[in-house]
Amino acid sequence: MLTAAKNQLRVCFLSIKYNIMREMVNKVTFLTNVAFMVLNDASILVQWFILFRLRDDVGGYSLREVLMLWGLVAASFGLSNLLFARVLSLPNLIINGKLDAFLVQPKNVLLGVLTSETRISAIGDFLYGVILVCVCRPGVGGFFLFLLFTITGAIAFTAFALLLGSLSFWFVRMDILQNQMLMGMINFGSYPDGIFQGAARVLLYVLIPVGMALWLPAHVMARFDGKMLLAVLGYVFLLSVAAVAVFYRGLRRYASGNLMEARL
Amino acid sequence: MQTIKVENLSKTFRIKRKEKGMRGSVKAIFHPQTEEIRAVKGVSFAVEEGEMLAFIGPNGAGKSTTIKMLTGILYPDDGCVEVLGIDPAKKRKQLAYQIGTVFGQKEQLWTHLTPYDNFRFFGAIYDLSKQETEERIAELAERFALQEFIDTPVRNLSLGQRIRCEIVASLLHKPKVLFLDEPTIGLDPVVKENVRELIRQMNREEHTTIFLTSHDVGDIEKLCQRIIIVNDGQIVLDDSVEHLKHHYLDPKSAGHGQEEMISVSMEKMSAVAENGDSSDVSLEDIIVEIYKAQGEE
Amino acid sequence: MFGSRRKPVEGALSLAYGQGGGVRNMPWRKYAVIYKSVLLENLQYVANVALGFFTYFVFIYIYIRLWGYMYRSPEELIAGYTKEQMIWYVMMTEMLCFGANANVVAGEVARDIRGGNIAYLMNKPYHYTLYILARYTGEWSVRLPIYAAFAVLIGAVLVGPLPHFRWITLPVMALCAVLGITINAVFKLCISLFSFWIEDTTPFQWIYNKLILVVGIVFPVEIFPQTLQPLLKLTPIYTVCYGPAKLVVDFRLEKCVEILAAQAVYLAVGCGLMFLIYRKGVKRLYVNGG
Repeated sequence: MLTAAKNQLRVCFLSIKYNIMREMVNKVTFLTNVAFMVLNDASILVQWFILFRLRDDVGGYSLREVLMLWGLVAASFGLSNLLFARVLSLPNLIINGKLDAFLVQPKNVLLGVLTSETRISAIGDFLYGVILVCVCRPGVGGFFLFLLFTITGAIAFTAFALLLGSLSFWFVRMDILQNQMLMGMINFGSYPDGIFQGAARVLLYVLIPVGMALWLPAHVMARFDGKMLLAVLGYVFLLSVAAVAVFYRGLRRYASGNLMEARL
Repeated sequence: MQTIKVENLSKTFRIKRKEKGMRGSVKAIFHPQTEEIRAVKGVSFAVEEGEMLAFIGPNGAGKSTTIKMLTGILYPDDGCVEVLGIDPAKKRKQLAYQIGTVFGQKEQLWTHLTPYDNFRFFGAIYDLSKQETEERIAELAERFALQEFIDTPVRNLSLGQRIRCEIVASLLHKPKVLFLDEPTIGLDPVVKENVRELIRQMNREEHTTIFLTSHDVGDIEKLCQRIIIVNDGQIVLDDSVEHLKHHYLDPKSAGHGQEEMISVSMEKMSAVAENGDSSDVSLEDIIVEIYKAQGEE
Repeated sequence: MFGSRRKPVEGALSLAYGQGGGVRNMPWRKYAVIYKSVLLENLQYVANVALGFFTYFVFIYIYIRLWGYMYRSPEELIAGYTKEQMIWYVMMTEMLCFGANANVVAGEVARDIRGGNIAYLMNKPYHYTLYILARYTGEWSVRLPIYAAFAVLIGAVLVGPLPHFRWITLPVMALCAVLGITINAVFKLCISLFSFWIEDTTPFQWIYNKLILVVGIVFPVEIFPQTLQPLLKLTPIYTVCYGPAKLVVDFRLEKCVEILAAQAVYLAVGCGLMFLIYRKGVKRLYVNGG
């Protein structure tokens, strides 16, 4: 059991390493991609400086808290895209029957699929998030909390994408829904939850994992609360279990490339 | 011992139908209409250990659906499959350690890496230790003559070189069964012959069971002892290649209870044969006639 | 991470311009034909466009809540804008951004050049950059009106009417918007044309997009510190987003003349730049033999 897990990790590690090696074939492109993504993310700071010139708080957040939240979103998204970028093209893989190669390997299909691609700009996102949080001087404890929430955030992001992407086993056009919902998650997540009230707020805590995976951690980073921390961990765990279950349930309906041939 | 045992295997695909335009799309949301395509209809056969079997049929006959069910890629709807005593649908991973797959049209290798790095990756996938992997790479590299390009990125290799690497990658873990789906597609005659020889050698030296699909009659003739022809999701012929070649003239000796099925083609073949010696009729002609006869039914 | 936040509308925008035989006497007609064929293709993707509304709605909803929080009282003015004006401003700039997304054409140009497809397109009897612009215009003239209708709907339901809006000024606003969209496309094409020299121009597109987004789309120029404002007026933002949106929320004749003049200058300079870069790029292609 333990050796199996070790071997599985070794394969994932190799896969990710090879992905990065592939992207690094052209060093100039690689470096500009990373550097420009950091710049690109940083440009949003202009917006916050302007808004905080107008008022001392936005939705109950101080500038520092907003920056921490934004750092967490960027780092989580970056980590997810660095390790599991393939989740974003899962609908395409399912519809076009491209899971075969993963299904004939004696390893976990899901991990094999997820780790088979990386997005280099994700390194930029991740770096930016870490830099931003370091600038806010969260202290050692705060920094570890940030790292923990970056991991849970990345898992939540991946799981949510997996859940929506796996619906492609049943329905068409799930790629569009997946893309829209993920963008929605990032966009809502980068603004303080205090500006949303009433039903919208409830929806954002229930329907899209913005509240539980991004806002609540931001609150815990601002003011530590053990119960909230556990709630975040529990939520991310349940979301992941649900996503994995849906994927494997759908995999039974996987039609490989045969459907495409039949369509002709 | 039977390596592969298939009983009454079936697979049906459901395809969503949609009328044209916006209206059709909207309608499809509320009243999805599906059409069933029965790709495999109750297929049964068995393959002995160390056997080399050709599993052929016209396009869309259900052969790749079958091969995908045997390797655990597709879930069967009905029937029972055992490969090396394992049910592929239930214990996919366990089975994957013991089988190898080469899909001629789909690449398993990472194109930006060298064959050597690829083999290291596959070694890790099959839980081989570094030393085991190295030894096996060295052995197979020599046998498949990969030495001169083993450190060249795969994308810079010729198709023939790539296919050899694909085969080596699927042999690293010494599989007991090798599934080959069109392994020689797009290769020139010399490379084809070379690949066939290597497969034969594998079978001889490591006693690997070979399950081959191909449209290339040369592959079948030069490799396989036995041939199964499928059409429209059903087996229409299961016979030894020798028998098929030499006894096609005599319907009674076609054997295995396939008489009625191929009797139509037999009549035609007799007509063909009247014009000359029986050895003029090649295996390819026979297969073509069987396909055609099936199509007329 | 928002480098690709606007997903290109999916569509098989294959090369539709085929028979160029009978149009020799009317050099502009070919661009009309290109325009028309892409327009027809795009009508089929209306459904896909509709799905893009979700993201648009999310953005607008966020800004409505955000400004709802920032304005303490209904009468307050921020940088001379009422709350309604501020939200309508964002709705207009985002509408242009979504309805006339130039990322698709820009990406296509970069791919044409890097992939070598340019060699075939270059020798056709039209100017490649104008061909791309015509196709792009065909795309947005389907999408933008739909977004405009959607934006007006959201505005009417969630924000309330604009205080000083007069329908008579609509044609001028439309003209200003068309010019703004075209200038934006020209600049994005210029960036893509650098693909003749460098491998990947997308990072530069991100930066350009971000500049437009942060400085032009979210806030009107007046909200920035006084010292920065003259500088911002010199950037393409002034003609691409600020201009068209400003005229919608707060129409003034002298402003209108000023913006249209700036747009004319920008369009001339942008096109000149585009032709120049293209010519140099093509020359380079010949030297290197593709």
